[in-house]
Amino acid sequence: MNEYMIIGQYVPGNSFVHRIDPRTKITIIFFFVIFVFFANSVGSYGILTAFALITTFITRIPLKFILKGLTPVWFLIIFTFSLHLIVTKDGTVLFNLFGWEIYSGGVIQGVAISLRFFLLILFTSLLTLTTTPIEITDAIEDMLAPLNKIKFPVHELALMMSISLRFIPTLMQETEKISKAQSSRGVDFRTGPLKERIKAVVPLLVPLFVSAFKRAEELAMAMEARGYRGGEGRTKLRLLKIQSIDIWVYLLFTCVIIGLFLLRTY
Amino acid sequence: MKNLRPIDLTFGAVFVCLMAIGANITAWFPILAVPIGGATVPLSLQTFFAILAGLMLGRKLGSLSIFVYLMVGLLGVPVFAQMRAGIWEFISPTGGFLISFVLVAFFVGWIAEQGKKPSIPLYTVAAVIGLIVNYVFGVTYMYIAMNNWLELPISYSIAWSGMIPFLIKDGALSIFAAIFMVQLAKRIAFRWKPAS
Repeated sequence: MNEYMIIGQYVPGNSFVHRIDPRTKITIIFFFVIFVFFANSVGSYGILTAFALITTFITRIPLKFILKGLTPVWFLIIFTFSLHLIVTKDGTVLFNLFGWEIYSGGVIQGVAISLRFFLLILFTSLLTLTTTPIEITDAIEDMLAPLNKIKFPVHELALMMSISLRFIPTLMQETEKISKAQSSRGVDFRTGPLKERIKAVVPLLVPLFVSAFKRAEELAMAMEARGYRGGEGRTKLRLLKIQSIDIWVYLLFTCVIIGLFLLRTY
Repeated sequence: MKNLRPIDLTFGAVFVCLMAIGANITAWFPILAVPIGGATVPLSLQTFFAILAGLMLGRKLGSLSIFVYLMVGLLGVPVFAQMRAGIWEFISPTGGFLISFVLVAFFVGWIAEQGKKPSIPLYTVAAVIGLIVNYVFGVTYMYIAMNNWLELPISYSIAWSGMIPFLIKDGALSIFAAIFMVQLAKRIAFRWKPAS
């Protein structure tokens, strides 16, 4: 499980999609999520599906990683599809399934909504599949920069994100060690009513808190010793730059959206 | 909200990690899934840690810390329940619970800051209000999500009844959070104090 944690979802690569600026990717995905809900005809769904599938193909990410990203929604997709199949009673009766009459309207609506879920999850997962967490952190810091005006601590937010990225695997390993240590001392996490089980969490939580706070304190001291004094005047190792490919991506996406609205039925 | 000290940043970041561990506590203790009324409820400590973040870090830093947690999940690091992550989690029916944790930390911190020093009655009131915020926001969001963008029409009361087993579990955990924090506050006061 720990290896899974460290890797996250990012799949290294050097495809066209990998090279797009993370800010561009976030913006495009944001608008894609909104515009998916405007699709209402075969043509408009078709153009969005084609766009999403071609983008996925260009990333050259192995299919198994993409399918792994889809696992949380298979159940929801199947459930919604069958619900609409049974409940919707529009159009003509297609056939009879164990006494239930299946209408053509139900099939159409079921397919449309399942396709919408599929597009949403596929396209949003592309961001984390093709961009490292550090890149997205930088992008979020940059995009939230206007909030500095209302005294929202944007730089601090980004720094906290980076620190937690560093510490999540460490503290997870720590939890594993503590749980083994406490089990070997005979703490029983397995039986008893709710109250007993909550009590059993205490021998896990106390050492976890102690260790977490110790790390936090040491890191803060190290930061102060190295002269950390907030975001003002701080320079960056990696600079984000909008390049010509980003302009092309925006243009292409605009075309797709115009196509979507032309193909919609009103 | 400027002038965050380095120690505020590191404690906030550590709470993000604790939230991630709390959300997946059953990964270390698979048998910690508690059977309530026939259904097995996987024990997630997210509400517990969101309340603790509010109690310990105060309303501003606490809610900022939980906001960072949501952002880290958005990055694709599997910190949400069942090792999930990504934008989809916010669109899904349970996304409202995630968003509400920011409000939970804020309100809990706000109430806890009214008292001069940690006390069980004050912290219990704060924790219970946090729990109410969590569920009212989360279930309303679920209702809106299912009826609007997920197209799975359900009634408001059905949305609530599906959440009752979780509510019992989180109710017990929030009172536990209040008691736990009072004990913890005595032990960590030398390590960390909120900025005055």
